[in-house]
Amino acid sequence: MQALNAFLIPILDLQLLGLVAIGTFAGIYVGAIPGLSVTMAVSILISFTFKWDIYPALSLMIGIFMGGVYGGSRTAILLNIPGAPAAIATALDGYPMAKRGEAGEAIGIVTVMSFFGGFMGIIALAVAAPLVSEFALKFQPRDYMLLAVIGILLVGSLSGDSLVKGVFAGALGVLIGTVGLDPLTMADRLTFQLPELRGGISFIAVMIGMFGISEALMQLHDVNKAAVKQKISRIVPSWGTVLKYLPLSLQSGSIGVIVGALPGRGGDIAALMAYDHAKRTTKNPEVPFGEGAREGLVAPETANNAAVGGAFIPMLTLGIPGDAVTAIMIGALFIHGLNPGPMLMIEKPDMFWFIVGALTMANCFMLLFGLTGIKVFVKIVEMPRSVLIPLIFLLSIVGAYAVNGSLSDVYWMLAFGVLGYFMKLYGYQLGPVILGVILSRLLDDNWRRAIISDQESLWLLLKGTVTSPLSAVLLLSVLAILLSKTKLWRRWRGQAA
Amino acid sequence: MSDARVRRPGEAAFAVIITAFSGFLLWTAYKISGFEALSSPGALPMASAGTMVVSAVVIAAQTLRSKPAGGQSLTRDIAPMPIVLTIIMVGAYALLLKPLGFLPTSFLFVAILIRVLGGQGIAFCAAVSAGSILLIYLVFRVIFNVIMPEGIVPEREILAFFGRLLPAGQ
Repeated sequence: MQALNAFLIPILDLQLLGLVAIGTFAGIYVGAIPGLSVTMAVSILISFTFKWDIYPALSLMIGIFMGGVYGGSRTAILLNIPGAPAAIATALDGYPMAKRGEAGEAIGIVTVMSFFGGFMGIIALAVAAPLVSEFALKFQPRDYMLLAVIGILLVGSLSGDSLVKGVFAGALGVLIGTVGLDPLTMADRLTFQLPELRGGISFIAVMIGMFGISEALMQLHDVNKAAVKQKISRIVPSWGTVLKYLPLSLQSGSIGVIVGALPGRGGDIAALMAYDHAKRTTKNPEVPFGEGAREGLVAPETANNAAVGGAFIPMLTLGIPGDAVTAIMIGALFIHGLNPGPMLMIEKPDMFWFIVGALTMANCFMLLFGLTGIKVFVKIVEMPRSVLIPLIFLLSIVGAYAVNGSLSDVYWMLAFGVLGYFMKLYGYQLGPVILGVILSRLLDDNWRRAIISDQESLWLLLKGTVTSPLSAVLLLSVLAILLSKTKLWRRWRGQAA
Repeated sequence: MSDARVRRPGEAAFAVIITAFSGFLLWTAYKISGFEALSSPGALPMASAGTMVVSAVVIAAQTLRSKPAGGQSLTRDIAPMPIVLTIIMVGAYALLLKPLGFLPTSFLFVAILIRVLGGQGIAFCAAVSAGSILLIYLVFRVIFNVIMPEGIVPEREILAFFGRLLPAGQ
């Protein structure tokens, strides 16, 4: 009964309900603007909500989080610029749909599937939190390392027709992620003795350069072409469409919940993994993947919103953030005198159920705001390209600068933008670079933990991997991904078919 | 694999440049801690730079073996004038941002680029530029408190002036 009362607080209290609504609405637009990250918005929010009571502060932050993860898909579909890393996979098929004049349908599918995904994450948080967190607790450093390797190998599946170019791009991303002072020994890594490089290269600068600047440069090839008129005749998808993609949505949501629940993993990885899953399991898509396949929208968008609920599981039950935003939220809970961790569930169960209730309402508001106001948003892309492109450049430059208030980030963004432009022209996919940057830290930390605990012996590491059931399954997954990319496997599949 | 691909203008040079650059990065990564230990700070940078070198060599070999694409030229299909000009302008924007400030640099950048790319009238370019910059400025500076370089515009004084007007108006 106490749990139900706490769950109903953000639903029945009009002030809290309003704050969840405002947060979700703002989150959608913050998430949609390249360079304005949800992490940044929640960090700034903490600075002026720390004097508030915990409930209003959490209501606003939860709304921003839920709306922001979804909002990134809008510019991914309309401009091919993911507003947030979680929308990288959405751009792969969403933008081709928009170019065909199907932006409304794409946004409609994305919104409804995000809603499903959001609910799956919330249900997982409410029902299975203890089980999932117990499972994540069993992970050893070598398992995290293998997970990172799986993530990087998956880029091969996303890298178009050339695996070797995908591997190059992924390795480049990992290398970019290692630039700066080594957190363990404080040794300079690839800094060339430049003080600006000691803090590393901003991930946001790399992301905006690779996706914003390079795309805007590509658009200049067709600067005098008339902009595609986006047909927004149907936004709400039909029941038939929803039912058709429901099985894939349920599978992708499960991926999202599990990936989101793993400490350090977020909606971005969940979305890429779900996209890869959809690509592998969809036998005959109506439209090929990368050219506007609806399955390519359903999978990542269900997964990244399911990862929101998933990310709260380790945060509330273990005190370990599931991603950057939940890391900031842990800070917010500390400020308000709460200690996230196993004791929170025992001492303050009402707080747990309040969060579940706020997430539920944020998910409902996301559906409401996501299916309305699209026509106004779409007008942006109907502007002449000669007007739109300079504004994208300006927004990208300001976004890169805004993260750290540093001009170095602007220069990095430009460099990666020009590099990304040439990579794109010559058939290199840019997604693997970003994935590499995201996974770099995880890979580095856990490789070193694993090899140190095995006394610097590769033999002991391998022995430990094959004798642990969990590690063995992960290792087999790595080998299966590698094998699926060989000519031998393709020949065998061809014969089997 | 890309064996069947045709080679676009400049693609071979790009493949050679990234191979050489990957080699340079591998050497730089090696200098971090050499082969000191498997857990050394240079281990992952060396592994990733090594992967880059191997894959870049394979890419370069495939690219050099492929046939050149017919009917394409570097200046028309890869780096046409609007793109070169835009890259130069973005570079100039980054250089002028600090000394001149966000508002005048952005105004000039957007107005000139719209004029160059679309050939619209000066009044139109100036109006679109001013309107969009005002909106971006309000979002970043006023709502999100992102401080952009002021340069020659006394932004703080202007904002303080409006701030003083507000209580008086109430």
